[in-house]
Amino acid sequence: MPKKYHIHPKVTPLEMEYLYKFKITRGENCINCGKCTKVCIYEAHKRRKDDPRKMADPNTVVCRNCFRCIQECPRGALEKSLQQDYVNISGSYWKADMFLTLWKQAEDGKVPVTGAGYRGPFTGAGFDSMWTDMSEIVRPTRDGIHGREYISTGVELGRKHNHLAFDAEGRLLTQPHPTVDIPIPILFDIPPVELSPNVMLALIKAASQISTCVILPAADIKPELETYSTNIIPFITEGEIDKYADILKNARLVAIDYTDALPDKLAAIKERIKNISNAVTIIRVPAISGIEGIVSKLVNSGAEVIHIVADYRGLEINQDKEANFKPRLMKDIIRSIHLKLVEERIRDEITLIFSGGMAMAEHVPKSMLCGGDLTAIDIPLLIALGARLYEEPEKLLLLPDGLEKISVDIITQRIVNLMCAWHSQLLEVMGAMGIREARRLRGETGRAIFFEEIDQETFGKLFKQ
Amino acid sequence: MKPSTVKIKNMPSRFKHQVPKYKVTRSNDCINCGTCAKTCPYGVHERPEGHNRVNPPIDYKCIGFECQSKEFCCIAQCPRQALSLSLNPMYETLGDPRWTADMITGTWIMAETGYPPERTDLEYNVGNSGGGFDKLRFKFPANPPEVDKSEISTAIELNRRNDGRAPVVISTPVYGGGMSFGSVSLPTMVSKAHNAAIWNTFTCTGEGGYPDILKPYDDHVITQVATGLFGVREETIQRVKIVEFKYAQGAKPGLGGHLLGEKNTESVAKMREAVKGTSLFSPFPFHSVYSIEDHKKHIDWIKEMNPIALVSVKVSTPNDVDMVAVGSYYAGAHIIHIDGGYGGTGAAPDIAKKNIAMPIEYAIVKVHNFLKAEGARDVVTLIASGGIRTAHDLAKAICLGADGAVIGTAELVSLECVRCGNCESGRGCARGIASTDSELADLFTEEWATQRLTNMYHAWNYQLVEILQKFGMKSVKELVGRTDLLEHIDYSK
Repeated sequence: MPKKYHIHPKVTPLEMEYLYKFKITRGENCINCGKCTKVCIYEAHKRRKDDPRKMADPNTVVCRNCFRCIQECPRGALEKSLQQDYVNISGSYWKADMFLTLWKQAEDGKVPVTGAGYRGPFTGAGFDSMWTDMSEIVRPTRDGIHGREYISTGVELGRKHNHLAFDAEGRLLTQPHPTVDIPIPILFDIPPVELSPNVMLALIKAASQISTCVILPAADIKPELETYSTNIIPFITEGEIDKYADILKNARLVAIDYTDALPDKLAAIKERIKNISNAVTIIRVPAISGIEGIVSKLVNSGAEVIHIVADYRGLEINQDKEANFKPRLMKDIIRSIHLKLVEERIRDEITLIFSGGMAMAEHVPKSMLCGGDLTAIDIPLLIALGARLYEEPEKLLLLPDGLEKISVDIITQRIVNLMCAWHSQLLEVMGAMGIREARRLRGETGRAIFFEEIDQETFGKLFKQ
Repeated sequence: MKPSTVKIKNMPSRFKHQVPKYKVTRSNDCINCGTCAKTCPYGVHERPEGHNRVNPPIDYKCIGFECQSKEFCCIAQCPRQALSLSLNPMYETLGDPRWTADMITGTWIMAETGYPPERTDLEYNVGNSGGGFDKLRFKFPANPPEVDKSEISTAIELNRRNDGRAPVVISTPVYGGGMSFGSVSLPTMVSKAHNAAIWNTFTCTGEGGYPDILKPYDDHVITQVATGLFGVREETIQRVKIVEFKYAQGAKPGLGGHLLGEKNTESVAKMREAVKGTSLFSPFPFHSVYSIEDHKKHIDWIKEMNPIALVSVKVSTPNDVDMVAVGSYYAGAHIIHIDGGYGGTGAAPDIAKKNIAMPIEYAIVKVHNFLKAEGARDVVTLIASGGIRTAHDLAKAICLGADGAVIGTAELVSLECVRCGNCESGRGCARGIASTDSELADLFTEEWATQRLTNMYHAWNYQLVEILQKFGMKSVKELVGRTDLLEHIDYSK
């Protein structure tokens, strides 16, 4: 029986105002009759404490959009609109509702559950253009709610053999490559902004609590963090191996920045690392045009783990600043790389990490179905702490004022909560599919439904003239 | 044709105000002359007898920009140009891309009047989701055969097996979806059943048991056998004409249900034959069904217990939904009920609602064609649900290959649901539709709710007949699978 993996959530509010959706205003024709206080079950309307003859300003943070105060006010004195901040924060990729749901998951660690059916668009770009399959009757697991604990979300990072070799006597010649096990297919990526020491420490502690790792530039890894060395992946250039030998010594994984010269030097680099440490090497490559060729070359040069990084919206990176660059989306980048490696029959030899634009829990299983082994996330971890992200006119990621004064424990717990919610949601998706092991999600496109395929197959066939 | 039991009666909102689409603004230039109050026939402006001042405009009564072409329009009539008209920012807080504010408002009007809105400023037939039904349009012929509306039948048979079981015919090709005792208030549940009787169609108990209060409507109730088997007894199976096996629900395919201990009150526990205060699990899937053969055993069990009942099998829409449907046919089901991924729920994980299993539009085509290829299409009834929001969705679903549809959200919207999605949180539905809270469950009467539902069903039936007439058809059965009567705004160019 595999060891059960649990993440322990704990309700942890952050005492600061965050984004909210609605704004209710009380008009001058209010007659202070108090009807709104009676009809609102969320207590948005109260009388003023200093003067109970008058109504206080509506507390819209708690509004759940039931419209009762609006519809029952005898004078029609209440008006509601979308909060300006809520409208402004939505970009082309990061939508206001994502901020709200991530914030809430960080608070309670629960799977977001609501009533009424899905309310969004039929389909969208990237991961929004696919659905996951489910298994109606026949199930490989008889997992009710309790059996969930036996669904494994663990993944293995490292190189694998394509086949086993035996000698003439039938003895196994192949030695397994070293691998690192992580119980959840999510790594914490390099923080996208500079963090105050408390947040940095909380990020590392949270990674440690859920037994995953955080990727950090080696220069940021202070000696006092040595206790967490198994949960930190130092990120270096190949020229810095000796400089950071002390940090590499205890690391399980090390991330190396990609350069065009790297594939040819890879054997030598691995050898140099091996002299210092047992760490498995991750090569960090930007998701640029021709990434499939780069990944393929790296696999053939003996790479163990490749981490492909798209931009913060999950878009391909315009490295050469081409004028009419049409970036591909993460979903398509993953599928394309995966397929190329499958065609070359080398997919099984390598572990692929994808990051950039991983914003919602569903992106984890979806990126795996497209062909990734695991994901790395960054911005959601900061949204858990109240960060706001604006896409226009240019990317602006803001951490809330006063975050540097919040205790490490609170910040840690909020990150743990978010990961607990994501882990539970991964279980929901896997449970519905009847898949017991996360590693079996990889490249299972037959268990996914892609919009462009099914729409073409159904409506294209019927209606194309 | 509607049954003679259907009586339309105006049944206004239970609230003082509606959600306004427009905003009429009166500036400081107003001299309180009262011209607007005299000219507006809709009652937007009021100056009560003996008052010096005109009341603030009642926005929701305004018919909007189309009024500007009329002579009596307040904006033109105001001697001081003190009035202006704009879209009300409040309207943006109502609805969503699937159920737009116009669609909700349109449904409210149908429930109030029994007819589709006369206003021309509401796009109530299609939503704004950018896919599926919202991209399909009817291709009406220029000169259809002339058919009188009185000749058009909207009735469909639910038993097409010719196996000696109840020859159930419903008068309109729609029935109400399963909502369990406890998930909706008693007036909601009873009014759904009462309306089903009035319309000679059905409603479904959901899996929370079969309250005695529904006894008068037994012939119009489908009782559900779901994985938790709550409240399922020989006696309840024997009471009805249709028994439904619920394998999965579109909003949460592949996931079990969980009723929290605190929600398992004395009456709920009694109905579910469980111990009060304990958490109740509806596991996924049926732990006694591994295969179609096991499934057949269940169906045989129902058939043995109730020799006249039809069996409906409700499944969600995975990739192999076509195989499941054919399997259910061979297992002996009369009705295959497919519930698409965007279907309604009282509570489901957001991740499941959005991401798991395919939308109903694809599944209908898939299942219809597969059953046809198997030679089984004519002997089973295919019912679609999960995102059938309007009469147009219904007609489109039938064109894609369904015989009829099950609706849930549209019924609740008729009872003035605003789709706020808080059905399960705290005290439950703030509007009293999906709550068992002693205060909230008492916000409307069964009589009010029944009439609203009857009106809404009437408006749908009226629109369906209109569509059939435009196609020159005499029966809704002629519409089944007629994809040639549809076009898709992306593909048909």
